[in-house]
Amino acid sequence: MTTDTKALPRITPDSAPFWDALRTRRLLLPYCLDCGLPHLPPGPVCPACFSGRLEWRAVSGRGRISTWTVVYKAWFPSFAADVPYNVVQVELDEGPRLTANVVGLPNERLAVGLAVEIDYDEQREGITLPRFRPAAA
Amino acid sequence: MTLSLRDQSAIVGIGHSAYGRFLPDSQLALGATALKAALDDAGLTRADIDGVAIHMGWPLGIDYDRVAEAYGLDVRWVCQTWLHGRFVTSAIQQAAMAVSCGLAEVVACVNAISFTRERQILGGPGDAEGTREDGGTHGESPPYGLTAPAGGVALGMQRYMARYGATSEQLAAVPMAFRKHAQKSPCAVMQKPMTLADHQASRMVVDPLRLFDCCLITDGAAVAIVTSAERARDLRQRPVYISGMQGLRSGRDEFIFAPRGLGINQQRDVPAGPDARDLLAYRMAGINRADVAGLYTYDAFSPLVLFVLERLGFCGPGEAAAWVQGGRIELGGELPMNTSGGLLSEAHVGGWNSILEIVRQLRGVAGERQIKNARHLQWATAWGDSVIFRN
Repeated sequence: MTTDTKALPRITPDSAPFWDALRTRRLLLPYCLDCGLPHLPPGPVCPACFSGRLEWRAVSGRGRISTWTVVYKAWFPSFAADVPYNVVQVELDEGPRLTANVVGLPNERLAVGLAVEIDYDEQREGITLPRFRPAAA
Repeated sequence: MTLSLRDQSAIVGIGHSAYGRFLPDSQLALGATALKAALDDAGLTRADIDGVAIHMGWPLGIDYDRVAEAYGLDVRWVCQTWLHGRFVTSAIQQAAMAVSCGLAEVVACVNAISFTRERQILGGPGDAEGTREDGGTHGESPPYGLTAPAGGVALGMQRYMARYGATSEQLAAVPMAFRKHAQKSPCAVMQKPMTLADHQASRMVVDPLRLFDCCLITDGAAVAIVTSAERARDLRQRPVYISGMQGLRSGRDEFIFAPRGLGINQQRDVPAGPDARDLLAYRMAGINRADVAGLYTYDAFSPLVLFVLERLGFCGPGEAAAWVQGGRIELGGELPMNTSGGLLSEAHVGGWNSILEIVRQLRGVAGERQIKNARHLQWATAWGDSVIFRN
């Protein structure tokens, strides 16, 4: 099962609109048409009210680092050259949190609460991975 | 109607294999050694076993059908949990319920793992769960390079530190305490003393977790035999009763490796102490938290020890890093924890090494580790499940 290429996300019928939109540099979230709340990860129903009436809407792409880590161990051969690299969770301004990497930020400056905005420059086999960079002042 | 399970079942036999690294035995062989020892301990024979509960089955460990086939058992009830350590309590609870309800009379709870042989599953390209739909069950997200349970704990602990000012130096009190316990435990893999300087010098694995915040990767097997209280009274050993229980919690406010309300994954960001569901085991056992003479937990990573203390209300949200200082969780302290060394220093036998230690303590045969006058001991995890044992 070893591979020298970085893993791709597993795209499901529930999450396909999320990944489709990223290809065109847009971040969409599933919003509930009944209670109005967005959620992640994309699911078949609204986890707040169990409604199945969902609508994908574009969101700001802005948020704050809610937690972070720096990986020192080369678990993946495909990430060995990147060690030590960051992984963060970003709380979007709209509420849901997303796991991703931050680019353009030295590891020493990682901090909970740091404002970030989305970056669409990482592409793997036709899939655009959402990443974040420090928000413009 | 509520069926009270208080004192309806008991652990009546315990056994284990050697614990070590790169042991030559297969997982099944380790399990056979442990089962034989447990049967001898209980004064039972193989033919008495009519149920098996397998904790940590495929794709890591052994499966119930192969266990029954290999050991020549003929059982009428089984349960099996997959892969993860988190299901220790689930296996004990299933066994306790089965013998209490008459679905089985004598259940062997079996954990047999060669982590050193199967370690590729613990992270990296062999982590199949991380790459399934929506990522892994500890927050793993391999497209971003996050893998292994340690990655999820790091996400939880980093935010905990930022919110409460907890430090790596404070966290060190946990592995240092359990190392002291391991030094009094003949089968513990790690016997060398650990100082604060040793902990701080251990390499960073996934910030803020250092190597010594991560449990051992070892091989070994442990078996606990559960039967009804009625049958237990006729057997060789003093019964260790299963007195109170509560289940594993799950939902959007839960992340396996963070206190409720910390704000990891989709948890709400509202620090809170234990709610009624976190304390049900005390009610079933008819005791208060203050009656617990020792606490045992799944210490795969040192932050999990802080989180279970807050889950149960031994201290408030954000207070555990300070609370564990000064020998409080060591033998002789206010609340001894993982007195045989836990996963951090005795061995990673899926947590069952600590279940066996609880039984030894409540039989009064823990030697220099003995907690004086131990009447109630609690097994509980950061994810909310628990079993309270009494003698």
